[in-house]
Amino acid sequence: MITTWIDSHLLSFIVFAPLLWGLALLPLSERQAPLAKLLGLLGATGILVIAATQLLHLPADAAGQIYAERFPWFTAVGVPVDYHLAVDGLNLWLVLLTTFLVPLTLLGTWNSITKRTGTAVALFLVLEAGMLGALVAQDLLLFYLFWEAMLLPMYFLIGIWGGDERQYAATKFILFTLSGSLLWLVALLFLGGRAGSFAPGVMAQAVAGLSPHAQNLLFLAFALAFAIKVPLFPLHTWLPDAHTQAPTGGSVLLAGVLLKLGSYGFLRFALPMFPDAARHFAFLLAVLSVVAIVYGALVAMVQTDIKKLVAYSSVSHMGFIMLGIASMTLIGTQGAMLQMLNHGISTGALFLLVGMLYDRAHTRRIADFGGVALKMPIFTAFFVLVTLSSIGLPLTNGFAGEFLILNGTFGSGFAWGRALACVATLGVLLSAVYMLWMVKRVFWGPANADEASGTAHLHADLNVREIAVLLPIVLFIFWMGLHPQTFLAQSDRQVQQMLVQGGAPPRALPPVLALSAEVKP
Amino acid sequence: MTLTPGELSALMPLLIPALGACLLPIAALDKDQATVKWIRAAMFFIALFALTGCFCYLTRLWASGAQPQFGALRMDRLAQFGGIFVVVAAALAVLQLWDHLHQEGWVKGETLSLLLFAVTGMMLFCATGNLIVLFLALELFSLPLYALTASVRLREQAMEGGMKYFLTGAMASATFLMGAVLLYGATGSMDLAQIGSRIAAGPLDPLVLAGSALLLLGFLFKMSVVPFHQWTPDVYEAAPHPIAGFMSVATKGVAVLALMRVMAVGLPAVGGQLREAVAVLAVLTLVLGNLAALAQTSIKRMLAYSSISHAGYLLLGFVAGTAPAYAGMLFYLLAYLAMNMGAFGLLSAFGLVGDRCGFEQLKGLGWKRPGLGIAVSLCMFSLAGLPPLAGFYGKYMIFKELILTGHVGLAVVGVLASLVSVYYYLSVPVALFMGKPSQQAEREAAERPAVMAPLAGATVLICGFLVVILGLMPGLVLDGFAQSAAQETVRMVP
Repeated sequence: MITTWIDSHLLSFIVFAPLLWGLALLPLSERQAPLAKLLGLLGATGILVIAATQLLHLPADAAGQIYAERFPWFTAVGVPVDYHLAVDGLNLWLVLLTTFLVPLTLLGTWNSITKRTGTAVALFLVLEAGMLGALVAQDLLLFYLFWEAMLLPMYFLIGIWGGDERQYAATKFILFTLSGSLLWLVALLFLGGRAGSFAPGVMAQAVAGLSPHAQNLLFLAFALAFAIKVPLFPLHTWLPDAHTQAPTGGSVLLAGVLLKLGSYGFLRFALPMFPDAARHFAFLLAVLSVVAIVYGALVAMVQTDIKKLVAYSSVSHMGFIMLGIASMTLIGTQGAMLQMLNHGISTGALFLLVGMLYDRAHTRRIADFGGVALKMPIFTAFFVLVTLSSIGLPLTNGFAGEFLILNGTFGSGFAWGRALACVATLGVLLSAVYMLWMVKRVFWGPANADEASGTAHLHADLNVREIAVLLPIVLFIFWMGLHPQTFLAQSDRQVQQMLVQGGAPPRALPPVLALSAEVKP
Repeated sequence: MTLTPGELSALMPLLIPALGACLLPIAALDKDQATVKWIRAAMFFIALFALTGCFCYLTRLWASGAQPQFGALRMDRLAQFGGIFVVVAAALAVLQLWDHLHQEGWVKGETLSLLLFAVTGMMLFCATGNLIVLFLALELFSLPLYALTASVRLREQAMEGGMKYFLTGAMASATFLMGAVLLYGATGSMDLAQIGSRIAAGPLDPLVLAGSALLLLGFLFKMSVVPFHQWTPDVYEAAPHPIAGFMSVATKGVAVLALMRVMAVGLPAVGGQLREAVAVLAVLTLVLGNLAALAQTSIKRMLAYSSISHAGYLLLGFVAGTAPAYAGMLFYLLAYLAMNMGAFGLLSAFGLVGDRCGFEQLKGLGWKRPGLGIAVSLCMFSLAGLPPLAGFYGKYMIFKELILTGHVGLAVVGVLASLVSVYYYLSVPVALFMGKPSQQAEREAAERPAVMAPLAGATVLICGFLVVILGLMPGLVLDGFAQSAAQETVRMVP
């Protein structure tokens, strides 16, 4: 009976099972921490298995939808709110990425969290529920609810288990994110009242009836909320603080999934609902993205803290994703889709690796290291591999995504496409500079002779648990680099539909690249 | 004089708490009331019994759909809503009082008696359309509240706070009365329905406008709207915690409900004239309440300023002035009841007394009583308006109506204000879960016996639960309860 219920409420199960599982773990006491960790890991792995086995084999219908649940939830004074969850080409892989990262995070930070472990594990699961809910929610008010609900577990993860400046970072994180989303709520209510529904399709029709000026304002309200989350330059200032102060697991999920929700919001809601305004602001978005790419890379270069460096590299990489979306071409958008997964895998892995180093050395300052390769050869191998994937070396995942994005931007019908693509390519170069320079200073050279240095505290190389965490990541790095079709096939048709509806410039539509295969014009 | 059953059933909701209020001083006559436990228990039992009885009576009345009348007393939907609202708030306050008064070492039956008298007055306040009765009801609940503010006489600020409240409150009552007199002078009637029809019949008399403004001022004072708010922080600080919570919820609530009736029945013609002034006051209240709350180091003063800011959100509902906006305000009140009683309950539940009500004293306590800590945090998030909790939907409905009636600017001010409020509401969970107690606090905690406040703790847990339930299923109270009361109110317009 339970299996039939799960079959008919698959998405509800995937979203709420982590929540209930997490809440069930809350009463476990401090002494039962190992049990809490084990149960949390089992639960998260179970969700991954169920999501992967159940969702991957389902065929998509004509509209690209794979699985949906929908029924009326409540009618708040006039405007009905639907409980509408769905998985389609746009969010399938992001859902799987989330369910994939959570168990890895739990396993990867097994010994990093030393106080109130049970509560932390529970919060990770609650966070997973919030992220999954936001990814699959189709009704905009429902999406808003999950979007906000996601903040609280992350707030506590940063505020309780974070570094020395944790309260400052946590408060900054929540206030920044809320400032965007509250204005967005006003726009949402305005449109919802106009359309009499919170379904994006119905709201889009209401948008079409508004004056261009009103459309632009509403689009800006949507874009602001999403851009803060991405974060797009110049709204990124909360990110380095949040990342440096967050515990390793929090950083992994923040970079891996939370940021993606911003770009996903653009793809899912902002662009299809406001096609005219989106075209109007595409240049602005593209310029800001390119600024983020170059600026993030330049600031990353001068960082002295490895984690902060990775945080700024996130700003740069998310700029690529936004550039692909702003190009409004099939190739660029598909590249952005792929790059979202890439960034989730590679940057997530980088944060995990930095966490492993920090657990041993209790410092993250680049100057404290040197010659780590001599002491931890296996670790070094993994770190260099992930670094190369983050830089975008051909054959790794980073290359496929960045190549598609740059290609799409270059070939977009916009007058600015070629110039911006050229500048953005500079960002690829810069990413090699800051990452490899950091790797050189940390891993190569003679071992740091200082007794108090970080290198002196490194006694053990990676253990079996840590290798088990990193191996699946390496597998995906190569899989996505060598055969990106696996991850693009589902979204192809849907992205194209979206672009056609959005009235993208005609040059953008004919698919030219064999990489995003199987598109019939 | 004989009463018909209908008249009696209109009176019953008032009689039950009044009877309890009269019984309590008899129990309190005993000199040993502070020392003999069973007498104390009996007093609290009488108070709770009266409130429960009243609650049951009102819910049955609601379910039956009857709207009995007795003279100027009209137990219609709005009045029944108000009665249930006040009684629940009072019951939560009584439960918290048991623990709080024991912590203060000042258990007296008079406190409960005064509270029940205030409940009676408040119910009458939202159940009448006659200006004289309205004034009587205002005094009937205000006077006990003045006394309640000063009820724990051991405390230094008690007398000062009570006096302050009394003097400013008397001033507000006088203004209210003056407004009523002017309205009577202009229209020749004390009945709101007649006043309404006579105003509508002719051109707008300046006397009517002046009278309405003065009348409004009386309500705004009770709601603690800026610039009539200065009493609020001092009075709340002086009052026992549960009484402060009760005042912040029930006084504000009944003022809103009665104002709804006055605006809908008596002064719909003036509403348009006053709308802009109300909008300005609402913005001032939101800005000042939220900014001042940021600067507070005492939790109680922070909550006082937060309650001022919530008056601003409620006022915004009046600016929109539609039936859904009224329903939203009623829902807001129910949500506010749960979250604010929970917020004030945290003081009693964690045993903070006297001057020791700062964030400093709260540090690290969340880990010692995690259930309580989570419930308090939920109430705080709800006050901040974070979804999917009850407080979010209250704001959601009011903002939506504001936007639909074309007041987008006001809605933006509203959301920005609630963004500011997130900061200070979060400082409670921050203190509970992220703060480390100072060495001095640890030493003091070791010296004093562990605080056991089972009843206050239970109320906080109930409030936390309600905040979640109302957030996940707003339809539960919205569709049948708040919406139908609001529709009745709007239908009262002749």
